Amino acid sequence: MAAASLPAWRRLQPGARTLRAFSTAASPTTLPGNPRPSTTERTSRFDRPPRRKALPPRTEKMAVDQDWPSVYPVAAPFKPSAVPLPVRMGYPVKMGVPMAKEGNLELLKIPNFLHLTPVAIKKHCEALKDFCTEWPAALDSDEKCEKHFPIEIDTADYVSAGPSIRNPKARVVTLRKTEDWEKNKTEADMEEYIWTNSSSEKNILETLLQIKAAEKNLEVTKEELLGTKEIEDYKKCVVSLKNEGDSENTLSQYKDSVKRLLNLT
Amino acid sequence: MLKGVTRLVSRVHKAKHEEKHEGQHYNLPLQDMKTIFPHGLPPRYAMQMKTFNEACLMVRKPALELLHYLKNTNFAHPAVRYVLYGEKGTGKTLSLCHIIHFCAKQDWLILHIPDAHLWVKDCRDLLQSSYNKQRFDQPLEASVWLKNFKTTNERFLNQIKIQEKYVWNKRESIEKGSSLGEVVEQGITRVRNATDAVGIVLKELKRQSSLGIFHLLVAVDGVNALWGRTTLKREDKSPIAAEELALIHNLRKMVKNDWNGGAIVMTLSQTGSLFKPRKAYLPQELLGKEGFDALDPFIPILVGNYNPKEFESCIQYYLENSWLQHEKAHTEEGKKELLFLSNGNPGQLERLCAYL
Repeated sequence: MAAASLPAWRRLQPGARTLRAFSTAASPTTLPGNPRPSTTERTSRFDRPPRRKALPPRTEKMAVDQDWPSVYPVAAPFKPSAVPLPVRMGYPVKMGVPMAKEGNLELLKIPNFLHLTPVAIKKHCEALKDFCTEWPAALDSDEKCEKHFPIEIDTADYVSAGPSIRNPKARVVTLRKTEDWEKNKTEADMEEYIWTNSSSEKNILETLLQIKAAEKNLEVTKEELLGTKEIEDYKKCVVSLKNEGDSENTLSQYKDSVKRLLNLT
Repeated sequence: MLKGVTRLVSRVHKAKHEEKHEGQHYNLPLQDMKTIFPHGLPPRYAMQMKTFNEACLMVRKPALELLHYLKNTNFAHPAVRYVLYGEKGTGKTLSLCHIIHFCAKQDWLILHIPDAHLWVKDCRDLLQSSYNKQRFDQPLEASVWLKNFKTTNERFLNQIKIQEKYVWNKRESIEKGSSLGEVVEQGITRVRNATDAVGIVLKELKRQSSLGIFHLLVAVDGVNALWGRTTLKREDKSPIAAEELALIHNLRKMVKNDWNGGAIVMTLSQTGSLFKPRKAYLPQELLGKEGFDALDPFIPILVGNYNPKEFESCIQYYLENSWLQHEKAHTEEGKKELLFLSNGNPGQLERLCAYL
């Protein structure tokens, strides 16, 4: 290409210009035999190469059933000329409408997921299938999975609306596995309140035993007491009080269950 | 209906307070106030009593509910614990006073601790306890309380006999069979032994109320102080925990429900409490885990703001006593304004009316 253009610009007339002239190193003013205009004069409109006309935007050439993943194959900024949707964004002035998409900085600032349409994702999955293997047939139940792979990590994803695409709650990851030293957990370590073997259980059993003793009803044993409906109810109320904290609801339920237990009207 | 008749001036009917008396005031004779409440009234109420020259309490639902339970108490069962809780200024202490008055009229023995918070803060002299080296005595507070206890329960003191011999020190001791009054006297005169005297009184009362000679009402205001932090420090500036104070230790034993023959009524109070946020009023917030576990199972009773009927009755009471001097005070808009400003909170209303 360079060899062909070299004799070409020698034959060029000063007046005729082509696009190729821009790409060569020589400028038209250095052509031999060309009367150089003085440097104080500005180049006239005709001397300057003509400006490229703005091409029509790509949207006009898009068919309705085109292949969208080829327009946006990767994450790319919003190109108003490449997205055929009449999107408006921005705070309108009085008696106005939001700004159009051409030259709209707001649309450029926000993240877009134009590269992740369902069609595109399906294509990704199809492509990834070639690299996948079968689920091992031996691991067909949950217990077997837990036995061979005891460590489980739970991650959570969140869908939310807000100024940022990141949700700090998604950073929380739980690890599930019981180790030997966890059996030494004391009551102060417990994350939630468990009623069995707690002081509340002891208190209530003592109280009830004393009541029964006062009524000369000594045949009742601890297990029987634990099985009665009132104690179940009381247990639920205490657990909810401790785990959820106080509220009108929990306190009134607790009150009712204690009243029933102690036989107060 | 209620505008004219706001008072129920009768001592006799006190035991028969029922639902229909809700919202009405009843008069407490001043003589009773001196004996039953030598120390228990909230300061603003005491001032109001002095100004009006009479003591009037409003009959409200929480107190009625408690009275109902107390009337149906089974004295053979372990003592039931009732906890009055509510926001600041809703009338918990005065409800407690109502209950105490009722029980006093029914001839119960009243064990009233007016404010347990006073025992865990601002104590000038702490002595190391002679009875148990790890604990601390508070002679001043103990002797003041013994004096008031004596005033309230004069008639019982000679009837109750202690069942064990107690040795104060090498030279003094008190024999089995002598009356409780002597223990109290010893505590008042010998201030050094006052805390131990209190301990003895509590122990004996607990033991003997199960025998059925008398009914015992344990009334503690500000019970959340028993399981909270203290502001007291040792000489080396290390903080003292609540259970290292002998008074608190004995009181904790008292509110346990391993005795029978009476009832335990307590209120939670944020107003004197230490290191608790101002808006805290729910049981678990103020009692903490330790307190809740110690008091469980108990009956929580909520004391709330005035309902419209009670509010109307309170305004009428102030108007009748010419307490509200502002000319707009008896108009409808005036009352609505007061209702809005105080939100029906009794304490707030009383403070507002003080300016009018």
